[in-house]
Amino acid sequence: MQWNNRSAIGNMHMIMSFSGIQRGARIAIGAFLAITCCVIGLHAADVSVSAELTRPQISQGEMAELQIKVSGAQQADVPQQIQADGLQIRLTGQSTQVQMVNFKVTSSVIYSYIVMPLRTGNFTIPGVTVTADGRQFRTGELAFKVDDSRSAPTPSSSSSAQMGLPPGMPQGMPPGIPGGIPMPGFQQRRPRPAPQRVDEGKLAFGEINCPKKTLYAGEMTPVEIRYYFDARYPVQVRGRVDFGCEGILVERFPDPKQTREERDGITYNVLTFHSLLSAVKPGSLDVAPAKLDCEMQLPGGLPPGFDDPVFQQLMGGQSGFGQPKELAVKTSGLHLEVLPLPKEGRPDSFAGAVGQFDIDSIVSNPHPAPGDPANLVVKIGGRGNFKGMGAPVLTQTDGWRSYPPSDKFDSSDELSYTGVKSFDFTLIAQQPQKESPGCEFSYFDPTSAKYVTLTSKPLPLVASPGGPAPAVAGAVQASSPEATPARLPAASRNSTFLKEGEPMSGITLRSWTTPVQRNEFFIASLAMLVATAALAGILAYLKIQAQGGTAATRRRKHLAELRSLLVSGTTDAGSTYDAALEYAELVLPPSEKRDALISGLTERRDLLKYGSGGSLTLPASEHRELLGLLDLSSTKIS
Amino acid sequence: MKYLSLLLCLLAIFVTSVRAGLPEDFASANGNLASGHADEALSTYKTLLTYPEFKASGSAEIWYNRGLAEMQSGDAVAASLSFRRSLLLDPASVPARVQLSKTLLSLGLPVPSRWKERTMQILHPETMIVGGAVIGWIGALALVVLLFRASRKKGLIALALIVIIIGHGASVLGTIADPRRTARHQAVLTAKEGVTLRATPADSGTESGKLDPGTLIRILSRNGAWWYVSAGSGSGALQGWIHSNTATPLLSAI
Repeated sequence: MQWNNRSAIGNMHMIMSFSGIQRGARIAIGAFLAITCCVIGLHAADVSVSAELTRPQISQGEMAELQIKVSGAQQADVPQQIQADGLQIRLTGQSTQVQMVNFKVTSSVIYSYIVMPLRTGNFTIPGVTVTADGRQFRTGELAFKVDDSRSAPTPSSSSSAQMGLPPGMPQGMPPGIPGGIPMPGFQQRRPRPAPQRVDEGKLAFGEINCPKKTLYAGEMTPVEIRYYFDARYPVQVRGRVDFGCEGILVERFPDPKQTREERDGITYNVLTFHSLLSAVKPGSLDVAPAKLDCEMQLPGGLPPGFDDPVFQQLMGGQSGFGQPKELAVKTSGLHLEVLPLPKEGRPDSFAGAVGQFDIDSIVSNPHPAPGDPANLVVKIGGRGNFKGMGAPVLTQTDGWRSYPPSDKFDSSDELSYTGVKSFDFTLIAQQPQKESPGCEFSYFDPTSAKYVTLTSKPLPLVASPGGPAPAVAGAVQASSPEATPARLPAASRNSTFLKEGEPMSGITLRSWTTPVQRNEFFIASLAMLVATAALAGILAYLKIQAQGGTAATRRRKHLAELRSLLVSGTTDAGSTYDAALEYAELVLPPSEKRDALISGLTERRDLLKYGSGGSLTLPASEHRELLGLLDLSSTKIS
Repeated sequence: MKYLSLLLCLLAIFVTSVRAGLPEDFASANGNLASGHADEALSTYKTLLTYPEFKASGSAEIWYNRGLAEMQSGDAVAASLSFRRSLLLDPASVPARVQLSKTLLSLGLPVPSRWKERTMQILHPETMIVGGAVIGWIGALALVVLLFRASRKKGLIALALIVIIIGHGASVLGTIADPRRTARHQAVLTAKEGVTLRATPADSGTESGKLDPGTLIRILSRNGAWWYVSAGSGSGALQGWIHSNTATPLLSAI
């Protein structure tokens, strides 16, 4: 029974299933396990030492591994180096193994040595003295052969397909080791795989493709560089493509495209770089090969301690080890014939543009304020050397002052080979203008081998200068600073008519802060608010006075009139009772007494009005009684 | 109506600009500048600007002339600052705007041309603010009178409301357009070389951009001698820390 993860999990299931067993049975099982452990301890005390070579025969340039296995001990004392004529043997590490077969547990330590031959021939590796568990053991001698034949088959070597990366494995993954490793125990260990011998010429190589071998100075031509890497081995690219020579300009390489391609039965990962190339000076040019530095992981032997079956199972049958190899992958060289640009027919407006272009222009602000600049944007589109082209030339510039344009390039591809370059001319009108200057742009077309001149017509706009009209300028000239009196009134507006560059002659003091931030503005606004409120108050008061005062005042006055009427008793009985009713309704608070009083007064008034006596004066007794009901007995009318 | 007359008188006093006399030194400096002695003129302008009269207020004319002298002396960066200060005091000054445009173009910087500048060329912001406020308050007083009249005429009341909106709207617009409102947080890069924007307020901070001399920047915050500033607008805006000795605030003359 192999003591690995799977068996440990199986034991866990067993222990878990024990929990369902009765207590007596559990005790019996515990006793059995305790006895088993004692037996295991007795067996573990049996120490043995052995040595073996993973490969007794190798080729020159290869390495082998020597393993010293100490069974029955957790630790042993072994030499760091083993002396052998013609060989260099060094300790590289150790690993511990635990194995249980038929309830017999054995633990062992394996010490791994790397064996590097210094020459070819037959060798004898001497026995090694090992101290373990307080005792000394010695291994037997081992025969070892180093062959000088590079193609000699090794007895334990696997096929190259087993050593290499599977074709479908992505770049950067380590080469794998095939699975299905037999695991009969350490006595039947699988022989170590040998590092594979590879043809470096087919590991990686480059190609360069330049469609034009003859070109004009300044002409840009696309160039494609392809690097092929054997897909079986992971590759790490270091640095950038080294390409170019004196006399040519190569644009910076954008990120390459990665594809996969098969050649001669080998699958390659292909990195394709695109760029633009242009020649600076005419003549024959031999461009050096394009070089790309990279590091390729070639298959190598497994270090000691990592070659046991358990580890390889955990790694999924793949090894994480290889031999890094620095490679400088090169393409072939490139020969170019560079022709000079013809001098015949070269326009004055030619400023180095080579390619195929067209022209367009717009005025971005056709109505600038007086003195403000107008912006004429000239757009050159097409394909060619945008970086090397000069600005178009303005024509019909009378009355304009122009400044060197700013430019901006909008590329439509990642190589900046095609796109639109905009030249923004800033123009200041020196006199009233109704149209912009025109524009002229010349380029050399390498296809037709001729110069081409493009023009754009003046565009309509309305612009005027910020300075004076000439006649006004003359008038201002008369009031030059020397002739100015010492205390002239300020004339900021007059400064509009200054000649350009002439100093202003008046002084106007202005605050550094906006009115809203000043106290006086705040106070004035507050004063206006108060004034408006006061005006509203005054007008409201006057209006109220005109309407006889407020409602309370009017009510108060009306009650006084009613009281006067009631107390005087000078009106007829009907009118007196009308007044009494109105008074009671206005003065008395809502209550049953009030309702009863109003009801009684209403009944009496109606009797008087619609019966007889309504037009007569109320009798004195009834008048007193009525005043008593309204609590007006003691009221005296002045 | 006598209250209204009194208030209008007060406002008229407030609106009237305080005008100072022209010192003889100013005339002398102008003479030097016109005759090509820019250095002497510049020295005099600098002395003039230390006078007490120019502590709380400024003169657009002196700053304009100083900018001309600096341009003649070959200091375009300082000239751009002077022209900006002149425009700050008198945003409607066409000569100052033209000279600033030329100075910025000589420095390779973009010329600002926004609605604010265009508005100020039509009407001075101070006139808009104060005049708009006066008109607005007149409308308010008229509205009050109309509301308390015995016979209310809706047409007149609507007219008064429109006057209020137009007047105070113009005042608000002038305030928004007035460059002095935001100048307290603005500065001009006056270092002779380009200034590096840094991600942190330290000389060792990561570079986050570079600004040309003469660029107008907005100070967003301060940390000792370091300012966190922004320049430009839209997608081309840059932000970062600069040392304060590489820039001069627009209002340092106050």
